[in-house]
Amino acid sequence: MTMRSWISLYALLIRTSIRSRMQYKFNFLLGTLLAALIQISEFLMVAIVLYKFGAIQGWSMHEIGYLFAVMTLSKTIYRMFADEVHHLEKYLVNGELDQLLTRPMPVLLALLPQKFRLMPGEILQGGFLLWWSLDGMMADGQISWVAVPYTLLIIGTGAVILFSIGLATATCGFWMTRITVLQNLTEDAARSAAQYPLTLYPKWMISLLLFAIPVGLVNYVPALYILRGELGGWILPLLAVAALFCLLLSVRFWQYGITKYQSTGS
Amino acid sequence: MLYFTLASKAYARNLQYRGAHMVHNIASAMFGFMYACIWIGLGADHALGEYGTQGMVAYIAFTQSALWVTSFITNGLGIPQTVRTGHISLDLMRPVHLFPHLMAREWGQIAYQFIYKSIPIYLVYYFVFSIQLPGTLTSYLYVAIALIGAAYLSICMNYLIGASALWTTESSWLYWGNHAMINLLAGFFIPIEWLPSWLQTIAWLSPYPYLLYVPTRLYLGFGDASYLWGTLFWCVLLTLICLTATLLLRRKVEVQGG
Amino acid sequence: MIEVSNIRKEFRTPVVKQGRFSGLRTLFTREYRLKEAVRGISFQVEEGEFVGYIGPNGAGKSTTIKMLTGILHPTSGHVSIGGLSPHKARREVVRNLGVVFGQRSQLWWDLPVIDSFDILARMYGVRETEKVKRMRQFAELLDLESFWATPVRKLSLGQRMRADLAAAMLHDPDVLFLDEPTIGLDVNAKRNIRQFLKRLNTEFGKTILLTTHDMDDIEQLCRRVMVINDGQLSYDGTVRSLRDTIGLPTVITVTYRGAFHIPEGYRISKEASEPELPIRLNIIAVEDHTVTIEVNRKEIHTLDILNLLAQWGELADVDMQDPDFEDVIHKVY
Repeated sequence: MTMRSWISLYALLIRTSIRSRMQYKFNFLLGTLLAALIQISEFLMVAIVLYKFGAIQGWSMHEIGYLFAVMTLSKTIYRMFADEVHHLEKYLVNGELDQLLTRPMPVLLALLPQKFRLMPGEILQGGFLLWWSLDGMMADGQISWVAVPYTLLIIGTGAVILFSIGLATATCGFWMTRITVLQNLTEDAARSAAQYPLTLYPKWMISLLLFAIPVGLVNYVPALYILRGELGGWILPLLAVAALFCLLLSVRFWQYGITKYQSTGS
Repeated sequence: MLYFTLASKAYARNLQYRGAHMVHNIASAMFGFMYACIWIGLGADHALGEYGTQGMVAYIAFTQSALWVTSFITNGLGIPQTVRTGHISLDLMRPVHLFPHLMAREWGQIAYQFIYKSIPIYLVYYFVFSIQLPGTLTSYLYVAIALIGAAYLSICMNYLIGASALWTTESSWLYWGNHAMINLLAGFFIPIEWLPSWLQTIAWLSPYPYLLYVPTRLYLGFGDASYLWGTLFWCVLLTLICLTATLLLRRKVEVQGG
Repeated sequence: MIEVSNIRKEFRTPVVKQGRFSGLRTLFTREYRLKEAVRGISFQVEEGEFVGYIGPNGAGKSTTIKMLTGILHPTSGHVSIGGLSPHKARREVVRNLGVVFGQRSQLWWDLPVIDSFDILARMYGVRETEKVKRMRQFAELLDLESFWATPVRKLSLGQRMRADLAAAMLHDPDVLFLDEPTIGLDVNAKRNIRQFLKRLNTEFGKTILLTTHDMDDIEQLCRRVMVINDGQLSYDGTVRSLRDTIGLPTVITVTYRGAFHIPEGYRISKEASEPELPIRLNIIAVEDHTVTIEVNRKEIHTLDILNLLAQWGELADVDMQDPDFEDVIHKVY
């Protein structure tokens, strides 16, 4: 199957998913509203600290908002398109992966179109926060409009990096089966940590978050350049390369892991 | 006696997974470690009120451990699941009241989590951050009472969340909403007095501060025993609400015919 | 069409530790127990055959099916489907396979049935005109139209199974693997499904391999049956000769018009009569006008028995009951 026909297949899935979600309007609106509310309360935790202390390690309220928004949007893209990678455990425990192995395409490409998850609450919250922080920093003259395309770019590379981390973690499931605990560490804890400037943490933890579980590359490192003019313009293409490298590495790991798959049941 | 059996069964059921839970504790400890780092970083530039940096680290260490007693309990006490499977009508048929029945089970769960989660996680922080323990015996007593009260409040709140499953299929968002409120209003990460005043007012009108903030204040030696009257007030109020909810729930199940 | 030569499959399962810190120790040590699920199975299936594959739970049925469909790699041995190995050329092979697991659905849980078909059609590159043609055909054969727009999670088990079967046939595969397709269905639903499978085999010439615990499936659909027991094939042949091999007795009840006489030597008992008699048969019961006997039809021709029975008196009616297939299978397991 060609890449183009796979994309048209995926587009079809997105259309049908949205249509079937819309059939239950009340549940859809309620879910959206609550997701947005939970997201906002999560950001309020950070906002209150800023409100009380003004800045965190020299990072202003707008800058922290930016870190937070980029992370939220990258994660949202990853989870909208590849939610089933995060839920691989279900496929391993119930043996549902068997079904995917009977499809005439690589298993990963068969897994992704199993579900498209619409996350309007997260998009609303992340988008609003991003607009608010960019607008504030432009008004202060800290950044120019160039920051906007740069930001869109790094949200994309960030999604690729988060997807790679998620995929590598899920692959461990071929050996461990149960992976929620591991995901707690590599996905939830790591992502929460990168919602703040990494300089808060001890050295070993910074290197961990930059090289081992590279969530720092999603928002912190690009923000150093886009918002504060540190590092240099070369960092953006380098990030794109790093993201592709992560993707390649995790896909290779996945391909190896899948040969270790032991179907459950008799 | 029945209630004790229910509780000890729930406790023993968890024992078989304690190895995996110990590994999970490492993940949980990482979260607290991260929050502590944030406060240490902030403490480098700012005075952290009456707590000081060391005090805020102890604050985080205590709330993170207490979470396993007062927040991370069974989603809706397991009622949403029994509603889905239709087991709820069986549970209502039993000659014991649903509320104490589920509560007894949850106490067993909480006792397990206290011993195999709260304590190990606290010990990690104790050694990593060399935390000071309270000096007097009375403060231990107050902390214990506050924690037991908080656990009871949490059971009541989850009972109500669970009961809502009879009216909406989406009761899981209530559980997550409850967690968001705990993060914000219970002093999970930021002491309540640092919230904007309007949020403080909302917080103190709710039972949330009694879940984490009050036990932690008592533990740090900042509060006095008068806090505990608030805990008692909410315990009584929520008990009444839970009993009323059971009546409504029973009627609902009878109308639906199981 | 399908060629299987000497496949074996071993599973390694970690040994769960007992006692103190058992969870931790299990996590950090690597001690395995080897389980041989399939131990050297070989067979061939020709194009257009309808083969039943039966055996008790845990005998290795599903493991075999999973190896045939490329889900599991055999520890040793070879599989070839249409000349290709499902392990080396998985994608080409599965394009020509339809697979149905009775216990799980391959449809999208939250989406209406018709949407699942649209997605599957894209997945297998089925052309729009063919898709429409086939779906019209299936809708008629399996009566799908009444629930086209229903989300899969709201279907009854029978409806879901029908939809799943149609989904497996959407890309018009030549070979169909069915793992317990009638499990948990009521009598009506089972009949519908069987009729559909029968037509697929006879009218469209599909090669079908079916595992089941329902012996009626086998009796009504398959000409050939393979029995797996403890990882090995214990029988491979026609359903008819399976019956004969086991040699369960046929029960014959004859009604005589008027009086009848049973010659000396035939006793009424549960045990077989003495060998020196011309025909070995066993009289179970004698009533006013009827005699009930048991006989092994593999040893004696039916006509010979009837001739013998006619010598005893004037025959009014004969009723023959072949052994129940469930009992035959019970014997093989």
